[in-house]
Amino acid sequence: MEATFDSLLLGFSVALRPDVLLYAFMGCLVGTLVGMLPGIGPLAGISILLPVTFGLDATKAIVMLAGIYYGSQYGGSTTSILMRIPGEAASVMTCIDGYAMTQKGRGGAALCIAAVGSFVAGTFGVIMLTLVAPPLGTFALGFGPPEFTALLVLGLVFLAYMSATSLVRTLLMASIGLLLGMVGIDVMTGHFRWAFDIPELGDGLGIVPVAVGLFGLGEILSTPSRSVTTKVVSPKLSELLPNRAEWRAAAAPIGRGSVLGFVIGIVPGSAHIISSFLSYALERRLSKTPEEFGKGAVAGVAGPESANNAASTGAFVPMLALGLPTGPVTAVLMAALLIHGIPPGPQLVTEHPDVFWGFVASMYVGNVMLLALNLPLVGLFVSVLRIPYSYLYPLIVMFCIVGVYEVNHSIVDVWIMLAMGVFGWVLRKFDFDPAPLVLGLVIAPILEMSLRQSLVMSNGHWGIFVQRPIAAVLIAICAGLLVLSAVSMLRRRNDWRARLAAEEAGDAA
Amino acid sequence: MSNPGQIDRRSLMVGAAVSATALSLGPGSGPALAEDYPTRAITVINPFPPGGAADVVARPFAAVVEPIIKQPMVIETKAGAAGAVGGQFAANAKPDGYTLLMHIVSISGFAEVDRLFGRKPKFTRDDFIPVARLIADPCVLVVNDKQPYKTLQEFIDDAKKRPNELIFSSSGLYGALHLPMALFLKAAGLQVRHLPTAGGGPAVTALIGNNAQALVSSIAAASGQMKAGRVRPLASFGATRAPSLPDVPTMKELGFDLEYYLWVGLFAPKGTPEPIVTKLRDVTREAVKTEAFEKAMKNIGQDVAYQDQAEFKAFWDVDARRIEDAVRSIGKVEG
Amino acid sequence: MKVRRDVVAGLAVLAGGAALWASSGDLPVGSLAMPGAGMMPMIAIALVMVFGAVLVFRGTAGPRLAADHWSDADHALRVIVATAVATFLYTRLGFLITMSLLLFGLVGLVERRRVLPAALFSLGVALATWLLFGMVLKAPLPPAPVWS
Repeated sequence: MEATFDSLLLGFSVALRPDVLLYAFMGCLVGTLVGMLPGIGPLAGISILLPVTFGLDATKAIVMLAGIYYGSQYGGSTTSILMRIPGEAASVMTCIDGYAMTQKGRGGAALCIAAVGSFVAGTFGVIMLTLVAPPLGTFALGFGPPEFTALLVLGLVFLAYMSATSLVRTLLMASIGLLLGMVGIDVMTGHFRWAFDIPELGDGLGIVPVAVGLFGLGEILSTPSRSVTTKVVSPKLSELLPNRAEWRAAAAPIGRGSVLGFVIGIVPGSAHIISSFLSYALERRLSKTPEEFGKGAVAGVAGPESANNAASTGAFVPMLALGLPTGPVTAVLMAALLIHGIPPGPQLVTEHPDVFWGFVASMYVGNVMLLALNLPLVGLFVSVLRIPYSYLYPLIVMFCIVGVYEVNHSIVDVWIMLAMGVFGWVLRKFDFDPAPLVLGLVIAPILEMSLRQSLVMSNGHWGIFVQRPIAAVLIAICAGLLVLSAVSMLRRRNDWRARLAAEEAGDAA
Repeated sequence: MSNPGQIDRRSLMVGAAVSATALSLGPGSGPALAEDYPTRAITVINPFPPGGAADVVARPFAAVVEPIIKQPMVIETKAGAAGAVGGQFAANAKPDGYTLLMHIVSISGFAEVDRLFGRKPKFTRDDFIPVARLIADPCVLVVNDKQPYKTLQEFIDDAKKRPNELIFSSSGLYGALHLPMALFLKAAGLQVRHLPTAGGGPAVTALIGNNAQALVSSIAAASGQMKAGRVRPLASFGATRAPSLPDVPTMKELGFDLEYYLWVGLFAPKGTPEPIVTKLRDVTREAVKTEAFEKAMKNIGQDVAYQDQAEFKAFWDVDARRIEDAVRSIGKVEG
Repeated sequence: MKVRRDVVAGLAVLAGGAALWASSGDLPVGSLAMPGAGMMPMIAIALVMVFGAVLVFRGTAGPRLAADHWSDADHALRVIVATAVATFLYTRLGFLITMSLLLFGLVGLVERRRVLPAALFSLGVALATWLLFGMVLKAPLPPAPVWS
């Protein structure tokens, strides 16, 4: 432990050098910018700045690239909260309560909470990275296909808590999402599924076009301009900061989101996408006022935003501890290391302590920097809402089109976005919630792949899910949750869901 | 299809047609300005998840190309179906030189697999113009270090004792890492279960997590783990021993007449105008000679094995026939 | 016979599920030890149809498909048409022209704001976005065929 502390000091002595600080700042700035704009993710930002890193030594280059990466995670929530445009899968849950808060005039508070939550989660993630990266990396390796399947099934069980609509509606939406997630070439056997001879559908329906359509465009379609009074959405400058009650409501979700996100983030694979969904469901499950969710609950912003940030830090664990890139962004970082003559892998920490610890220390510094960068910007962003709605919504439509197009430079994606916008509008008329659909879409390919891999591994025996310890624990948690909810269903006492079901059954609406 | 002249002539004609269309729409809207190319970021499709051979070669490559072309080169991951998803995406991309494909040896097999299953091929080799080959190295059979095997014979003996119990991972059904393992298992008469993943990176992850016990991998994707001692190489698939693994015997030395190389090449979609392809070839030639690229390849245990278009085309034609034979000899895998 | 909202929704889901089932008959289901491309789709379609059926069953006593619910259809339709036209033109006329037209169409024509401010707003915003994406972020937007 003392050795770790010494190493960290070494790291800080590197990270606090003025020239290194400058590059960290550049990275954070570009990261915030690209994260904010829909369609342009951290990957593009890193690619834009990569040429700048050629003349630099490894430490500066990595510090700047990492800055872009976590900087973009901060910026991602801005359009979700203010315009209901999710720039990426992780921001989908933030859209729901974040935008509801904006409609209540608390957009500034939501942005502040998102920034602070990201800061806490990011810092927590780095501390964990410092202390336990090597043992955690080994633990994460235990996640084979059966464990993955169990984790995703757990996510589906949590789904029951994710939406304000009744269980049947939620499950129906999730199943439709699963179906949409299977469009395209089957990832295992290469069969074409429901592509209707449109080659662009080969790699499936993108998450961004679907989410932007369902949330961003769908919202505009169902909000005719005459029903909007501009007074509601433009908050006073003094109301930008969260009040005491909001801080108190945000504290525990930020803490839980940080832990949950980090744990999910270290698993190699694409599980980190579900961290924000899981956190949202968890907060709703634990909340004393679950009916507030969807109508501007602070916890619905604080939890997912923190989880999302902690997960992105957690994703560095397999890379640094095991030399495994777990996502496109860590792959870019590894390539940067390679170009600078540093072979990544388990030896990185011992052979190049200055790079490793300089990098870790710069993440501490970068998080402080991002908070300082983002909080003053809240006022600027919120003033977007002062634009009268009849000018604002055409702007949002434009950003939906541009953002979706920029992801793949595919006009087919924009058509998908439009179709999903219409679909989202109709869903709303029938009182369906699109959030479970997006979750279904996100996990469909991973769930299908890991389930089929598990069955192949076990030669068709379902026992594989209970014979392996981690998978067995996860399945046990699933079972426990199901039993719990069955019990509360039977009791029907004070259950908000029972009331909902009753409302639906009667002619109340 | 093995006549290179034909391909070139046709791609020229298609290119001319595209240019003509672009001109009729108005200047500046397309590839007409080849001498200025590139004027914006070039996207290179990597059809595998991060960590595979195409990925670890494409990223350093992009990094050395960027200062030459003064434009960003963005690597975009489109993984799935052993590389078919990304290949299909690139085959249908606009042939304007701004979408390229970094693919590996398995690009030759997909049409054969589709034929095997009676499906319409998603794309064929004719859908791509080869630009250059970057690396080509023998594959290597590695096992998890928790397994006791020190030699290939020990692995064979254990697998014989326990048919259908050991598991090997691969980059996907009929993928670049499935073919050599399937050929070896067939030659040795072994029954080993197959865990297909989405690419070389996840296949290595599955191996070091001991979800699979064996894997035929590219040297590039496994070198870091070999150095760290988490995986143990037992045999290589080259005609001679690989320079970076001088102690690992070849399959031929061990009595199996198997040779299998994993190469990574750069492709452009059919119809990309000839001047742009020429520019790309020039850029690639310059990029692979840089010290940074050679160093990066050394770091992953590879030598640069650059081939320009003509040479690469001839090599590819021969190699593709071997891959198609391999697919046919494995036959239909249930699913 | 009153038309119930959930019955309509459930029947639509059932019809969609049946159509998908019919169109995916050629996907191999495989076996448990080697699941094929058709296994998960079959499961998902089955789930969708089951939940759709439950919705129909429970919806017979549910709320009606009220007409006043659709009062925003007029506005929504205009926005959909405007977006569709913009999507169609986007790669043909390029970013600047298409987006200026889209913004002006929505602000000036759909919202009936005064023509001059609407035109200035549309051109200004499109130009600023163009500069931000194209110059600062180097993200290529579809170019206009007329100039550039």
